[in-house]
Amino acid sequence: MSIDISKMRNIGISAHIDSGKTTLSERILFYCNKIHAIHEVRGKDGVGAVMDGMELERERGITIQSASTQVQWKDYTINVIDTPGHVDFTIEVERSLRVLDGAILVLCSVGGVQSQSITVDRQLKRYHVPRIAFINKCDRTGANPLKVRMQLREKLGLNAYMMQLPIGLEDKLEGVVDLITQKAVYFEGDNGTEIRIAEIPAHLQADAKKYRDELLDAASMFSDELAEAYLEGAETEEMIHAAIRKGTLAEQFVPVFLGSAYKNKGIQSMLDGVTRYLPDPTEVKNIALDLDKNEEQVELTCDEKSPTVALGFKLEDGKYGQLTYVRIYQGMIKKGDELYNTRARKKFKVGRLVRMNSQEMQDINEGVPGDIVALFGIECASGDTFCGGGLNYAMSSMFVPNPVIDLSITPKDKKSSDQMAKALNRFTKEDPTFHCFVDPESNQTIIQGMGELHLEVYVERMKREYNCEVETGKPQVAYREAITQRAEFNYTHKKQTGGSGQYARVAGFIEPLTEKDYEFVDSIKGGSIPNEFIPSCDKGFKQAITKGALIGFPIVGTRCTINDGQFHPVDSSDIAFQIAAIGGFREAYLKAKPAILEPIMKVSIEGPQEFQGNIFGLINQRRGIILSSTEDDNFTRVDAEVPLSEMFGFSTILRSSTQGKAEYSMEFAKYGKVPNGVAETLIKEYEAKRKAEQK
Amino acid sequence: MVKQDLIERSPVRNFEKSLGGGVKAGEIGVIVSKKGLGKTSILVQLGIDKLLQGTPVVHVSFNQQADHVMTWYEDIFNELAKKKNLDKAADVKAELISKRIVLNFSQETVKTVQVIKTIKALAEGGKKPEAIIVDGFDFSKAIPESMDQMKAFAKEAGISIWYSANAETADKGLPASLKPFEKDLDVVLYLEPKNDCILIKALKEHNKADYVTDLKLDVKTLLIAEK
Repeated sequence: MSIDISKMRNIGISAHIDSGKTTLSERILFYCNKIHAIHEVRGKDGVGAVMDGMELERERGITIQSASTQVQWKDYTINVIDTPGHVDFTIEVERSLRVLDGAILVLCSVGGVQSQSITVDRQLKRYHVPRIAFINKCDRTGANPLKVRMQLREKLGLNAYMMQLPIGLEDKLEGVVDLITQKAVYFEGDNGTEIRIAEIPAHLQADAKKYRDELLDAASMFSDELAEAYLEGAETEEMIHAAIRKGTLAEQFVPVFLGSAYKNKGIQSMLDGVTRYLPDPTEVKNIALDLDKNEEQVELTCDEKSPTVALGFKLEDGKYGQLTYVRIYQGMIKKGDELYNTRARKKFKVGRLVRMNSQEMQDINEGVPGDIVALFGIECASGDTFCGGGLNYAMSSMFVPNPVIDLSITPKDKKSSDQMAKALNRFTKEDPTFHCFVDPESNQTIIQGMGELHLEVYVERMKREYNCEVETGKPQVAYREAITQRAEFNYTHKKQTGGSGQYARVAGFIEPLTEKDYEFVDSIKGGSIPNEFIPSCDKGFKQAITKGALIGFPIVGTRCTINDGQFHPVDSSDIAFQIAAIGGFREAYLKAKPAILEPIMKVSIEGPQEFQGNIFGLINQRRGIILSSTEDDNFTRVDAEVPLSEMFGFSTILRSSTQGKAEYSMEFAKYGKVPNGVAETLIKEYEAKRKAEQK
Repeated sequence: MVKQDLIERSPVRNFEKSLGGGVKAGEIGVIVSKKGLGKTSILVQLGIDKLLQGTPVVHVSFNQQADHVMTWYEDIFNELAKKKNLDKAADVKAELISKRIVLNFSQETVKTVQVIKTIKALAEGGKKPEAIIVDGFDFSKAIPESMDQMKAFAKEAGISIWYSANAETADKGLPASLKPFEKDLDVVLYLEPKNDCILIKALKEHNKADYVTDLKLDVKTLLIAEK
């Protein structure tokens, strides 16, 4: 089957949690005739939505992993990438965004632009993803799509215009008015599959005219042809579509559609919007880095004949081995091709090639540029670039935040401990924000991630998918230590009693550094330390900063300068200078007034106005700083900065103090100094722990 | 320059001296002008001055998103810190931010009573402000009672409050849109653009009325000019 690239769309669906994103994905699959019955996310029939592959997702009603599914809408091919909605899984969202050409921003007609809509919109902006908006849940009580449209403008700064008006709202939602054609569109029959076009109801005619004029005024900005035709009243539908498309691709215009996925209203019109206004793969500029030319930027061409460049953006472990989702940016991938993994620097052969419809797969022989396919049994990590034709490119590195939370895990029995290694190996490959290591002191396995829920989900997955039960410790915040002032050192390491001796003297100073975690400066004059031992000093400092003297966490933001020293012609060695550098660092460290830093999270809490006092109280109890509070009608949103260490178990507490009516989201903001009182407690705890271990 | 000098040598000291002590606890002041002359800038400077002194400030904005308000503070603080070569500017800024809370309301749906309720809720949570700044409040759409409520709250809690108001002209006395609120207002200033600076006139200052102060705004930076 050959695919016309101009009729291909790679789209994602981005939204705040509970805006009905998964339901919407389901409906898209349904209308594209891929599945034959509609299931609810938390379906009574127990089947569950097709996109939420994992059992766990079904249970929690959230989508954790993004699956890519291909559907046909009219004569267009659409790859739908379902993205997770919870902020703890942001890396998954960001990775999906990298491979999208366009997005549907889903909003709830009642909740409007919520805290997470802001986060996902920021992500879309970062990756320059053109988008259309879909105001979902117009059947709910309190639905107000026009208010949501204003919020898109005010809160997200988007140039948003209605493409449709609702006919009836809440439980009276019947259909939409298409502003371009000036016709009413009704979705009838079982599951809204029968579309009936009719005249606009009389009471909506004035509004329909008004909003059409507004839309055309805005669209005219992008097309002189339309502007002229519009003045003369001779505009055609094609002209309007072309102008809106141009504005949308330039990220200067956002067409707003509306409906209700649950009630099967408005999905088909939105799909037309996807094919009309979102870009095909050739219209998106993709940049790769040439690893042979010092990471020079190269623009990729979406052309079948060019050498292959593809990105593995998603790994899944299925019954048949590892499945790698791949976006082809340039060239083709054919069965039997040999490709080169530029990160691992390994060649591999393309075995089985498939296209995914969630859990059903279809074998194919080749993938065309712009397409999303899946490879079987490829040894790789997510984010790897695959090249053909001797190229050595990497798709620009994806932004990966550092983990902020640690959790110790201990397998409950022997069988679990074997499985645990397998599970961890796979999770770390799949998710770059998930780390794990064995703490050399306690000999415990520590997993690290972006939040409590993030780690909880992995612990659950170990149990379900690997049959591996673990006991977890208390979540531990990833603290850092940092010096606050300059301090000098002059340290001599000497061991000259019997056998080959060790001798090294290192002098210099350490000082705070804001831009980087570590820097080494060599200001030695006159060879007081021979050149061959300079790297030894660097190594020693690097060793010293892995563990601070206050609470044993890594030290960040330090510049180490050496300016003097001494060596012994026989007894000086690499190791002697390393030890001297470590000694020197420790000597200076406490004089440099070290402080403990902790991750501070940006927390947004939203809820009904009546609970505002409780929300303020919760933040204050948690050493939080209220940055701002926004009130509109009966709805309030509080933004605050709160230390991560105070946020454990927050969701439960928030729920119980607001009758479950408030929700929150958080993301890492910065590292901040721990207040003195808390620092003292941490230091005492660390000392007690060390003493206990020595006994 | 250290923080203490920044407070002592701030043009706000002169501002207060020229206005009979400025707006004290329990009082309300208003800055009136046409759009774009520097009302928000003055309000933010007054806010920063309070924050520098360690006084918690609530900034209420009816017309700007919280993010925009924060950017105003950021910009003006950076400008001041650069001009005066402030020591440990980053630490001072972090301290300021921890004492400032920005509230954003829509005047159409939120009444003054609700604004007061929110501030009281903050106070109960241990974040009691001593100064309130209200920007973007549309006096022409407000009822006189709302100012009575605010005044009563200011007195009861010992808070000083500064408002801004849009008005076209003010030759003598208060502009028409402010007249109904006159009894609750202690200080009303008017910004008048001249060629090279913006003059500050006092339309009402405690028991005095209608005089030109020696205060000016720098047209480039919109900062209160130093003497």
